[in-house]
Amino acid sequence: MNAAPTATTPVRLLVVEDERNVAETLIERLRSAGYLVTRADSLAAARRVVADGAFELALLDVGLPDGTGFDLARVLRERAPGTAIVFLTAHASAEDRIRGLELGADDYVGKPFHFRELLLRIQNCLKRAQELVQLPGEMRGQFRIGRALVDFERFSATIEGASQALTHKECAVLRLLSERVGKAVSRDEILDRAWSADEFPTSRTVDNFIVRLRKLVEVDAADPRVIRSIRGVGYLLTELNRE
Amino acid sequence: MTRSAGQGGLSVQPIWHTQLLAAAAGAWLALQISLVFWWATLIERQARRIAELESLQGAGAGGLSAAQQWSRTRLMLVGESSSFLALLLAISLLLAWLYWREHLRARSMQAFFASVTHELRTPLTSMRLQAEAIADGEQRAELALRLLEDSHRLESQIDKTLELARIEGGGPLSEQAIPLQSWVPRTLDSVAQAHGDRVHLHAQIDADVPPVLGDAGALQLILRNLVENSVRHGRVNPVEVQVSASVHGQRAVLGYQDNGQGLAPGSGRLGRLFGRGPQSSGAGVGLYLVRRLMQRMGGRARFDTAPGQGFRTELSFRIAE
Repeated sequence: MNAAPTATTPVRLLVVEDERNVAETLIERLRSAGYLVTRADSLAAARRVVADGAFELALLDVGLPDGTGFDLARVLRERAPGTAIVFLTAHASAEDRIRGLELGADDYVGKPFHFRELLLRIQNCLKRAQELVQLPGEMRGQFRIGRALVDFERFSATIEGASQALTHKECAVLRLLSERVGKAVSRDEILDRAWSADEFPTSRTVDNFIVRLRKLVEVDAADPRVIRSIRGVGYLLTELNRE
Repeated sequence: MTRSAGQGGLSVQPIWHTQLLAAAAGAWLALQISLVFWWATLIERQARRIAELESLQGAGAGGLSAAQQWSRTRLMLVGESSSFLALLLAISLLLAWLYWREHLRARSMQAFFASVTHELRTPLTSMRLQAEAIADGEQRAELALRLLEDSHRLESQIDKTLELARIEGGGPLSEQAIPLQSWVPRTLDSVAQAHGDRVHLHAQIDADVPPVLGDAGALQLILRNLVENSVRHGRVNPVEVQVSASVHGQRAVLGYQDNGQGLAPGSGRLGRLFGRGPQSSGAGVGLYLVRRLMQRMGGRARFDTAPGQGFRTELSFRIAE
């Protein structure tokens, strides 16, 4: 069995699953793999747990007796933006998947799954989340990108005085473009940084995602001046100012 | 997009679809009203012309004046037009109702298949997890017990789906005299095995309760569905269930009561096909089968629940002669 990524301090996982047999076996196996696991069997219990503790990753069942995992994802994005989110669900329809990813899920796993595959996805998500949390010195603080004031450390963007949480993918892509401001970044590089191979992303995935980012940073998303398309290559961030 | 939410099962219907339907219904209604007015105007013109010609020839029927004849013809035209319009509107309403019923049925079926898929995937996920743990060298009795429990759940879901198809297709029941005093405890023992220590079932059937008329297989499915319902939605561990029987006139009533948390207001859809309590993750089939099977056996099922008062069911049977 693979060990958790950091051997010295166990990684804390939150498992929100109401099906007793699934939850108990999953937790036993995750603990055997070296993770420190806390379980909640309802949305209300999960809210209490999230208020009391910090977690590196949350495994959320979508269908809960008193709500949905989507509701909890919103809470997590606001209170603990650094926590990676993986949805576990028996309803793996395209609409649900899109909704989950829009809410900032790092991955979406359909039931039934293989435990080893889940473990691998957890490790990939943790690795990407770790990269986002461990900011190099030059990326700390607040940056003006178009009309948004972005704080990579807090996973937030302030637009016209209103602060909003950024998802991990939004942060990852914005950070990559910011690190290479004034230079074109290829779609493949963007895919490598923010998506795992098992999510089956395509270049179109990146284009759709850029449309979302433009709504965030551009004054007029129909006439983009901050994130420019470079035909046949990818995208280029034109301006980045430290505040 | 408009979204209709089942528990977790989300069906999405594009807005343009609804708008297109509303536009088609509006156009259809406008066409019919226009048609009736066109017809009424045309006939009125012709009738007026006839009345004028008759007046010119002085050949008014029954010695009536032209004005009287026109008045009578007009009354007849108004009556005919109204009947025509009412008939068209009635046909339209009937078509709209048939369409709406089919639409609801299709949505229910979609929700049902989403729920059944969920109900099958969940024990399958659990079984795979236990099996992988065993394959990786873990040898614990709990894993085998969980596997057993999940296999029962899977079997139950398949049985419910098949029974639903059988009942809806008018499949026959085999009626016989069932002695409740010996039959109920035996059946409850068999049902309890599927749930291990999560449920304690107690039966109190007096010897003076006569045998009832029913299908033994159907009655077993009814008890199994009720117990599953208690275990799943009772939110207590262990679940305590009391089953008792009494005689009321020509009927024997089997009472079922659990010690669960009961269901919140809004549970009125219980016992209806695909009807689920608020915050329920079930498929909405179990209690429907209980109600339908009781009806097919000439009996009746009544559900009663409130927060903090558990779940109570009364099954009323015909007494065997």
